[in-house]
Amino acid sequence: MSNPSKPSNTMFLENMNHFVPEVLRTMAGLSAMPAVGNLNAPQPSILAGISGSIGLSGKVNGVVYTAFSPSLGQMVAEKILGGSAGEQDVNDVIAELTNMFTGNLKSQLCDAGYNCTLTIPSVVRGDKISISAKTASISVSNSFTVEGCPEPLVLHVFAIVG
Amino acid sequence: MSLPKILSVDDSRMIHTLINKGFTPYDVQMVFASNGAEGLEVADREMPDVILLDVTMPVMDGIECLSKLKATPKLKDIPVIMLTAEAGKENVLKIAKMGVRDYIVKPFTEAAVIDRVGRIVDLKPKSGAAPAAAPAAPAANKKPRVITDAIKVLVVDEHPAIIESIQKAVAKRGWKVVGSASPEAAQAQVAPNIPAEETPDIVLISLAFPNKAALKFFATARQHPALRSLPFFGLCVKTAEFEQKDAKDTGFAGCITKPLDLAEIPDRIARAMELDVTPVFYSSEGDIQVVTIPQDLSEVGSLDLTRQSRTKVPNFVNAGYSKLLLDLTDVSKVEIPIIRAVASIIHECEKIGIDWRVVGNDVENVPNFPTILETNLKVAALKDLPNPFKGKSMIDVHPTRAAAIASF
Repeated sequence: MSNPSKPSNTMFLENMNHFVPEVLRTMAGLSAMPAVGNLNAPQPSILAGISGSIGLSGKVNGVVYTAFSPSLGQMVAEKILGGSAGEQDVNDVIAELTNMFTGNLKSQLCDAGYNCTLTIPSVVRGDKISISAKTASISVSNSFTVEGCPEPLVLHVFAIVG
Repeated sequence: MSLPKILSVDDSRMIHTLINKGFTPYDVQMVFASNGAEGLEVADREMPDVILLDVTMPVMDGIECLSKLKATPKLKDIPVIMLTAEAGKENVLKIAKMGVRDYIVKPFTEAAVIDRVGRIVDLKPKSGAAPAAAPAAPAANKKPRVITDAIKVLVVDEHPAIIESIQKAVAKRGWKVVGSASPEAAQAQVAPNIPAEETPDIVLISLAFPNKAALKFFATARQHPALRSLPFFGLCVKTAEFEQKDAKDTGFAGCITKPLDLAEIPDRIARAMELDVTPVFYSSEGDIQVVTIPQDLSEVGSLDLTRQSRTKVPNFVNAGYSKLLLDLTDVSKVEIPIIRAVASIIHECEKIGIDWRVVGNDVENVPNFPTILETNLKVAALKDLPNPFKGKSMIDVHPTRAAAIASF
């Protein structure tokens, strides 16, 4: 791990590379492989499918976005719930997984002295969801190949470190 | 007898579904609430035996709900387990101070939740149903164990020097160490066919084995019916933060970091196994209870001695004792763990009217204990310590036990 004292782009990327596979393995029994990742992801970026988002507010301000394709969202939800999952179930699972990714990021930030609070997760669906945060000094993203699904899970974090 | 009632307070239906699924094989009654305000209402109406409480929720979050629960006389004693993705040290400390029983970090396994709840309520499998995950043995069925019992410690580490160091550290308690160089080699110790009396009492395992082998070993051990509540410690370097978190989330009791603090290892094992530590410190001479404080009393040992003395000292009265001798002969340097233990024991004596005396060699420091205590009460580790010496600047210290006994 890099020096935890000052949250950097690398810290955000390392955090997601560790916790996304861990959350999926623990909750759904699925392995996930991170790609190389983008330490300076372009703005705006486009997300597609079902996107969860949670805001960070405090010494770090920002937003964490996740994006699942409908088939990936369906597969993960059914794995976790152990049966068929309707649209509302899928939304709920994506909201909770986004909460778990972000909660673990928040823990690392707080331990480094950058306390922040989280907002309640929200979920949107769309083919072309444009996201940007012009004032964010940190824009990091990565995609994760999840076993059993050709479409990747995408994570994007915008942050301003106070 | 009524079924144990579990209240899950979470805004996620996914979490409710998972928890409900996890407890399906058990004879329990589940109740649910989707935010803190609703949780308070349901708790008041249903009076659950345990509450699983999320932190981030709409309407009322888990922190506010917890503080309201603790402020409500009817509800304040219901054990609360926080179930949250937010595990920052500050957050955990803040919540711990509010009086939660336990803390489960998301992501979690159903087994972890069942294990933690099983430590609080007696989980019985439904007749004919196989438990999905193993609960810890209910407290009521556990045979109380003391520090002088023959304890078998399984140490799994790739470095023989580590096994040897731990062996030396626990030898002072007379405990036995079984060393193993790898989880594969240690499998025989936890195999399903091994009789319960031959299984280890605690496992210390290196987290540096590849492919999370320590966590897999933990899961294997949990399959053995006698090892469902076997405490595990991870061994790792201080900087292995992710490995420590993984171990804690899996259900390890904690991590012991390298370089090892050998003096503290037996105390950490005693705490994880909930051993009664008082036989090491307490003895009797005729009708007098004697407490011997060693110089190498560790921080963990001091906290446990202090906590257990709260019950032990009042029990003297029922056992017919009315005098206590505090033996500080081995103490040559008054340090924080010693200050805590001495002040707490004397406080308990004062509270219930047990006559006490002190024996010691350190004629410079021990008589000045009240001043030393007063000076150190600002130290964070002692800030909640009661001061039984108010108005006193010195205490009488006797040079020998015989002299102290004669002075009663």
